[in-house]
Amino acid sequence: MGLTAREVMDTRFQTLSPENTVADAVRAFEQAGRDTGQTVFGMMVTDQAGKLAGMLSIYDILLLLRPKHIHIWGEMEDLEVAGILEEACRRTRPILVGDIMTTQVITITPDTHLLLIIDIMIKKHIRRLPVLENGEIVGIVYLSRVFKHLRELLSS
Amino acid sequence: MPIIAYRNVLQGLTVGEAMRRQIIDLPQEASLEQAVRYSIKYKVNAILITGAAQAGLGVVSKTDLMGAYYAGLPIDTPCELVMMGPPLFCRAEETLDAALDAMRRHRVHRLYVRGDASRRAGGVLAYPDIVGILYRYCINCRKSIRLQSGAAPQPDRFRVREVMTPEIYALHAEDSLQTVMEGLAAHRFGAVLIRDGEGQPAGVVSKTDLIMAYKHGLPASAPARLVMNGPVQVVEKDEPLVDALKTMIFADVQRLFVYQGTPRNLVGILSLSDVARFRSGTCRACLISRIKLEGGP
Repeated sequence: MGLTAREVMDTRFQTLSPENTVADAVRAFEQAGRDTGQTVFGMMVTDQAGKLAGMLSIYDILLLLRPKHIHIWGEMEDLEVAGILEEACRRTRPILVGDIMTTQVITITPDTHLLLIIDIMIKKHIRRLPVLENGEIVGIVYLSRVFKHLRELLSS
Repeated sequence: MPIIAYRNVLQGLTVGEAMRRQIIDLPQEASLEQAVRYSIKYKVNAILITGAAQAGLGVVSKTDLMGAYYAGLPIDTPCELVMMGPPLFCRAEETLDAALDAMRRHRVHRLYVRGDASRRAGGVLAYPDIVGILYRYCINCRKSIRLQSGAAPQPDRFRVREVMTPEIYALHAEDSLQTVMEGLAAHRFGAVLIRDGEGQPAGVVSKTDLIMAYKHGLPASAPARLVMNGPVQVVEKDEPLVDALKTMIFADVQRLFVYQGTPRNLVGILSLSDVARFRSGTCRACLISRIKLEGGP
């Protein structure tokens, strides 16, 4: 079986800029979700030259949103904190994508074997892998697409 | 974890119940820049540095990063040259009391919890997590000073002045970051108040602000005003403690400066961990309650 990234990657993808805000990014996730019919939880971030600069996932946004000292006041069940979520979101919205994106990005090439892709996704706890050819982004492999291909192979 | 309504000491509670499983780690060759990024991103005070087979080799804390900045090390220096090591380990089955005793003995704020393999970490036990647990247990403790007064417990009748530390450590806006770092290191503080030319409170510089300045390539000779956070978060000394607590929660800060009369007249500092201990009625009868949070006043 010679299935590689080339066969499972999406070649239509949107990207973010490091100068986008978290609010911009979430709107882009929503728009991409409408365009592809799939829920989008992360996107590649590219610099002005179109080169891969990082990845932003909803997890990066959750890390930012989480109050630093919640392990202390979170125990105070008798404390009224109405409006805290809105306040945390208000603080999070204007933060720049470039400041919270993951910059140590693992990438693959179009020739990376599907089993190696699965291995990377399991070991590194990641769900999407940018596909680079000679330093240029040519696609992205989503865990959901990997599942889809495997489902066809496993059920036949 | 179950809340036990009656327990006058935390005896029997284990490290495994109090630890967090998420360990923030970097390989030994990772740069200090990455360590700064991780520290900010995951909101942690220290990063475990690992070698082959993910064995824990050492720890790089915000204090160590500040030290590297102070010493003028390039930001791409590998973590292994700065880390303190080896990391101290405990076991998940140990009692919390024993682990806290080890922390006090070694003057550290966290212990890594040994995983399956010999030098691999499976969790981390840090002081701030224990402060939260302490609240949970002390508020239900029959020996709590909160309940000793005889009346029904009213944790929210306290005022800020009862809990604040009545002293302020301050530097000036034109003082260099070097001076700020020397001050923080000498007093073991997490942040310092910055006053302007007229002696009025202008902002606060924390260790986090300093390591961000390091990452952004600012020289350590730069004045404090370039990195300070303003305005200073303040509370009036006679305000109810619960209002101060809400201010801290909504601003996501762990300290407030306390004023008397006018916000220009600062008279003390209020830390989140002290508020938590006071509010829970922690009586300090248990050894475990005598802990001090890193970065507090």
